[in-house]
Amino acid sequence: MLRVRFHGRGGQGIKTASQVLGTAAFLSGFQAQDFPLYGAERRGAPIVAFTRIDKEPILERGPVAFPDLILVGDETLLEDSQAAPACGADALTTLLVNSTKAPNSLKDKLNLLTMPVTCGLTKLCLKHLNAGMILSTALAAAAARLTGLIPLNHLLEAVEIELAEFSPEQLQKNLDLVREVFELLNPVVFQEREEAGLFPSKLMALEQQEVRDAAPLITATGNMNLRKTGNWRIHRPEIDYEECNHCMICYARCPEGVIKEDAEGKPEIDYDHCKGCMICAQECPKHAIKTLWEMDYEHQSQ
Amino acid sequence: MNINRSNKRMLTGNKAAAWGARLAGVEYVPAFPITPQTEIVETLSQWFAGGTLKGKFTNMDSEHSMFMAAGSAAATGVRVFTASSSQGILYGMESLYTVTGWRVPFVMVNVSRGLATPITLEADHNDVMSTRDCGLIQLHAETCQEILDFVLMGYKIAEHPLVSVPVLVNMDGFVLSFSREPVVIPDEKSARDFLPAFQPAQPVFQASLPMARASAVFGGGTYTYFRIQQDLAVRQAETVFNETAVEFADRFGRHYEPLERFHLDDAEVVFVMSNSFATKGKSAVLRLRKQGVKAGLLKIRMFRPFPDEAVANALKGRAKVAVIDQNLAPGMGGITYPEIVAAMYGRDDCPQKILSVIGGLGGKDIKENDFLSIVEKLNDPESKGPVFLYDEGDWKQFQQMQKIAQL
Ligand code: SF4
Ligand code: SF4
Repeated sequence: MLRVRFHGRGGQGIKTASQVLGTAAFLSGFQAQDFPLYGAERRGAPIVAFTRIDKEPILERGPVAFPDLILVGDETLLEDSQAAPACGADALTTLLVNSTKAPNSLKDKLNLLTMPVTCGLTKLCLKHLNAGMILSTALAAAAARLTGLIPLNHLLEAVEIELAEFSPEQLQKNLDLVREVFELLNPVVFQEREEAGLFPSKLMALEQQEVRDAAPLITATGNMNLRKTGNWRIHRPEIDYEECNHCMICYARCPEGVIKEDAEGKPEIDYDHCKGCMICAQECPKHAIKTLWEMDYEHQSQ
Repeated sequence: MNINRSNKRMLTGNKAAAWGARLAGVEYVPAFPITPQTEIVETLSQWFAGGTLKGKFTNMDSEHSMFMAAGSAAATGVRVFTASSSQGILYGMESLYTVTGWRVPFVMVNVSRGLATPITLEADHNDVMSTRDCGLIQLHAETCQEILDFVLMGYKIAEHPLVSVPVLVNMDGFVLSFSREPVVIPDEKSARDFLPAFQPAQPVFQASLPMARASAVFGGGTYTYFRIQQDLAVRQAETVFNETAVEFADRFGRHYEPLERFHLDDAEVVFVMSNSFATKGKSAVLRLRKQGVKAGLLKIRMFRPFPDEAVANALKGRAKVAVIDQNLAPGMGGITYPEIVAAMYGRDDCPQKILSVIGGLGGKDIKENDFLSIVEKLNDPESKGPVFLYDEGDWKQFQQMQKIAQL
């Protein structure tokens, strides 16, 4: 069985990537299963999706802990300890990162056992789709090619099925993109994982605790500090203080409560937690809040 | 373009449920969204809006009115479908008891999700088990194919003149509701031949025909009469299921029994499971067999009526049985365990040990290693249930969370 795991952010087409790969594998005569993992998250939050491909019926369900192939759509996730895209990677795992960096620099940084593959998918998506962060078909094409199991015609057919609701022009652009990604990469040889013997879990019997420890009680306030949601941002609000008249409407409207009033009475955005919903920009009567692309901003600041 | 090869395509559990309803030609869908069920009614609403399905799709104000609307519409003689999950089921509970007593047929899907509190979105079976005594027929699905097939079969069973009771089809949230796998979609014509338009065998509401359904009865005797009738009708559904399954197999090639036996014939150790985690159980059985443990699995598809004879026959003569409940009745244990034990009661070929195991609560994974631990517990004469599938790793993880949550 080949187990594939996709990492990216909500809105980047990670679930669709896993589904295009699933359908392509199915059309190529394999058993396939795909499954996205998302709960209460939203756009911008780290998302994982999985595809399993096998000749035999698939007797697994749920998340893939030990993937043969990992695809990381968003480089910024490599640093995110909660997304932990390299988790479960071993000497048999191939990791592809949407990046223009040199593979060995990532290998060292992530302590990988194998040399990762890097591929600048964002640039290709920009070229074909005019949108650098809609990665669904590009990631699926990369995965399909790396597996070496899926011929191009089945991949293209899968794209047509999964993007059936797209306009003919949009579909064609995706097909061109898929073709280019497919031709750019080379298949990897995957080794079948040897099945380790089972060993018993260390089951334990819980003891009764006092009710304050036994009930789902949260007594520590302010623990959002530990969960930096700033990296969910695709867009970045930036206040133009020349224009701002300190009306503080943005402060009142921010659903995350991450705009505060500084000592001089000016609004200040906490970028560690701002999720980039851009409601503040919509609400600002002076149009003083600019919408930047987080990616562009990062490049500028580097 | 060839979108579906031999009518097979990748579908989520939710889409498979919607396809079942579509092929049944449902005429009325009262709906209310809830994660992880929403995709079902969303899909159906699109099909109604686009004209693929003819009839009426109504957004209700709650599950309480939704189940009431489902029952009422079924009482007018139209084919009804609805779906819910978790807290939604609980909120609609009063209506569920009410409409099953009306003895009107429809099919509903429950997408299992653990109940609050604590709040979760992931699967366990306390929600569906809470409807165990409502008077519904319950079919639990392990695969996306079973979901579609059970919805189709469900109408045939629910609408059978000797049954006339709603059918609930259950699937696990996330693990099945959002998982896609290849599903054979029967063509419309064969589906229609298998399941012709609904012909109610009883009087239905019509403007010209005044009648009452929710009659009040006092003194207990009349009440008891209707309750016994309800019991007989639900019991009858087992025979009807088996007849329907034969017809279904003739037409579509897939044959279902109330129970599925996996490597059971020579098994010494048996896991009793249901729903999507039974897939994991099957994989564990194969791996345990490689390690010399003669394991097998009994999957329960039909929980109501409870197929006690069939269960007793499947488990008789087995040395050791573990009943894995993905639910918890606090202060008692697993909810289906006593039903299995009762099915074996008084039989001289009863297993030496029937152990209650509880796992998969709130979507917690049941790992293959856990099955070996269960075997160890079964082999330990001292062990007593319920055994919780909770390990040192889970405890460490909890302690981390607790550090963040508490002052
Ligand atoms: S984009 Fe604006 S409104 Fe949205 S979270 Fe950030 S600061 Fe708040
Ligand atoms: S809403 Fe606009 S003008 Fe008002 S305080 Fe915020 S940024 Fe300044």
